[in-house]
Amino acid sequence: MKNLVIARIATQGVAALLLATGVVPARADEWGTITGRFVYAGSKPTAADIKADKDVEVCGKHKLVSEELTVGADGGIANVVVFVRDKDVKIHPDLAAAKGGTVTLDNKDCRFEPHVAVVQTGQSLVLRNSDTVGHNSNVATIKNSPSNSLIPAGGESKVAFTSEEAIPAQVTCNIHPWMKAWVVVRPNPYAAVSKADGTFEIKGLPAGELELQLWHEKAGYIGEIKVGGTTEKTAKGRKKVTVKAGDNAMGDITLDASLFKK
Amino acid sequence: MDPTNSHHRRHGAALIATLAIAASGCGGVPPAWFRPNMVESTKQRLTPAQESQVATVMLALFGTPDQPVAMPETGLDQAKLDLAAGPVHSDVTGKKNGLYREHCAHCHGVTGDGLGPTAAFLNPYPRDYRPGVFKFKSTERADKPTRDDLVRILHNGIPGTSMPSFALLSDTQVDALVEYVKYLSIRGETELNLMRAFFDLDDDAEGKLPQAREFLVDEMLTPVAEKWRAADDARIAVPEMPADIDLAASIAKGKDLFYGDKANCVKCHGVTGLGDGQANDYDDWNKAIVEIKKEVTGTAERARETKTSGMSAEALAEHRANLAWVDRFHHVLDGDAHRPRTIPPRNLRQGTYRGGRRPLDLYYRIHAGINGAPMPAAKGTIPPEDIWHIVNYVRSLPYGFDGELGADRTTTASTRDRF
Repeated sequence: MKNLVIARIATQGVAALLLATGVVPARADEWGTITGRFVYAGSKPTAADIKADKDVEVCGKHKLVSEELTVGADGGIANVVVFVRDKDVKIHPDLAAAKGGTVTLDNKDCRFEPHVAVVQTGQSLVLRNSDTVGHNSNVATIKNSPSNSLIPAGGESKVAFTSEEAIPAQVTCNIHPWMKAWVVVRPNPYAAVSKADGTFEIKGLPAGELELQLWHEKAGYIGEIKVGGTTEKTAKGRKKVTVKAGDNAMGDITLDASLFKK
Repeated sequence: MDPTNSHHRRHGAALIATLAIAASGCGGVPPAWFRPNMVESTKQRLTPAQESQVATVMLALFGTPDQPVAMPETGLDQAKLDLAAGPVHSDVTGKKNGLYREHCAHCHGVTGDGLGPTAAFLNPYPRDYRPGVFKFKSTERADKPTRDDLVRILHNGIPGTSMPSFALLSDTQVDALVEYVKYLSIRGETELNLMRAFFDLDDDAEGKLPQAREFLVDEMLTPVAEKWRAADDARIAVPEMPADIDLAASIAKGKDLFYGDKANCVKCHGVTGLGDGQANDYDDWNKAIVEIKKEVTGTAERARETKTSGMSAEALAEHRANLAWVDRFHHVLDGDAHRPRTIPPRNLRQGTYRGGRRPLDLYYRIHAGINGAPMPAAKGTIPPEDIWHIVNYVRSLPYGFDGELGADRTTTASTRDRF
């Protein structure tokens, strides 16, 4: 009994020491990476042109198109949001250390960059204006206080998030009504947005059972996916996965065109 | 006969009997009831069983329009609610009760949903208290109004709208009404929280909300009440306008700010200040309906294009559920929501200021923006002295300090110079 206690104190001591010096090695076999690519099934939609009718002398110079549904030449769907739904998911020490800081949402060329921003609770979103015209950023969060600040040319404004949001919140500019973006607020670092080619990657996931959630602004929570030739229902966008240590390639995740009719 | 069916019928008959007894009470007037938030319920695709879960919880937490309940967590005063609630009547001493239904319900609705019988005829629509969003107040954009803010609205009414002044009511009566509006708002926001909570449930919860007090009160209700409690200490600190301010110079500075790229007032209120700069935006209440309509139309379109022949039983069931949802939503939008309208930016040449005409009121509007409306906050971007300059310029607009409208200016001058 006594030995056991001593042994426990000893291990705790070592762990504390390792934590303090920040050298706890993440055992390679405990963490995995999920990758995949969202593919559009159906004839490729063309993004509608946007005619800038405000600040035409500045915004009219840029080719603006609707970013509601962006499908690449090879069928990849951009801006699909993937995140881990589990509340008490274990966080990779490297990612935990990187918590804090800011994420930037830029008003640039009379559009928002990026179209979908991912923020962790405790982080701030910097709303920047790189344009030569004034903007405002109306952030329609539900759990966090909504805000709507003027962002003068070259200026910026900061919004802090304390609670997670059940659905991504829309960000709009009331001066330029075509400008739309989304902010995803999650309590952990496990969220990704698919790139222009439809690919995404979430790193440093704890090995084991996890539940992913899939969302797209036109489709909402994605109710049906096709992976490896099998169609499966994913009610509320929920998809259970087993993460193995190392790489977990989901391959092509096909989304039917009908999901985006809204 | 199918036994389950017969059970349902007996149950139904018992219910009708109960309602009949209740209705035959005092003067044959059926008891007032709180209308559930059908737009949110349909949006969240709640089942009838889930709707009744919410209704049961709401009844326990807030009571009925005739017998409202002020739970200690709400911070509300039961005696004030009693004075405002219930049908209109006087007691033996002649003291009036049922103030809310006498003065407010015909526009704002018994539930405070802005769906009273008169509402559809008004422009703007009466406020729906349920999202807990109020426009004209002395607190930051996302904060609740203070008690004094609501009292001021009741005393002054809202110029330019159908909201009249209730200055003839006694202070006690106004106080009771303010308390009741807070009650309806806390109630409505709690209901929204409950309806939205189903989405977050784990699959093994089988669509049932937790029944623990920690969830129903601490998570769903208390945070809403806390925001109301915090408001009274959250008034915006406004530095006094310098007493020796040179008004003409201040108006000129305000004009530059109005047209400039920093404050950007011109983009919505227009180069003339007539409020014609931005005509196609919605406020939050109307926008919610516009967006839901889009979703309903999209789902209907998808359902129409679906080929049902050779469909699996499961897919067919889903298809039918979608059709039923669309059908139901059409009914809801017909009776439980207004037809959406755009929100015009204020015409600043009229001298009608909805949130009050004191310079301080205009300062609050510019500093914090207007909650629920597209008007953004200047806070953090425009320093206080500049906000005062804009206030002075805006206040000069109805009087033509800065030039008469149109007429005596040559049309070759730029629009900005003409006004």
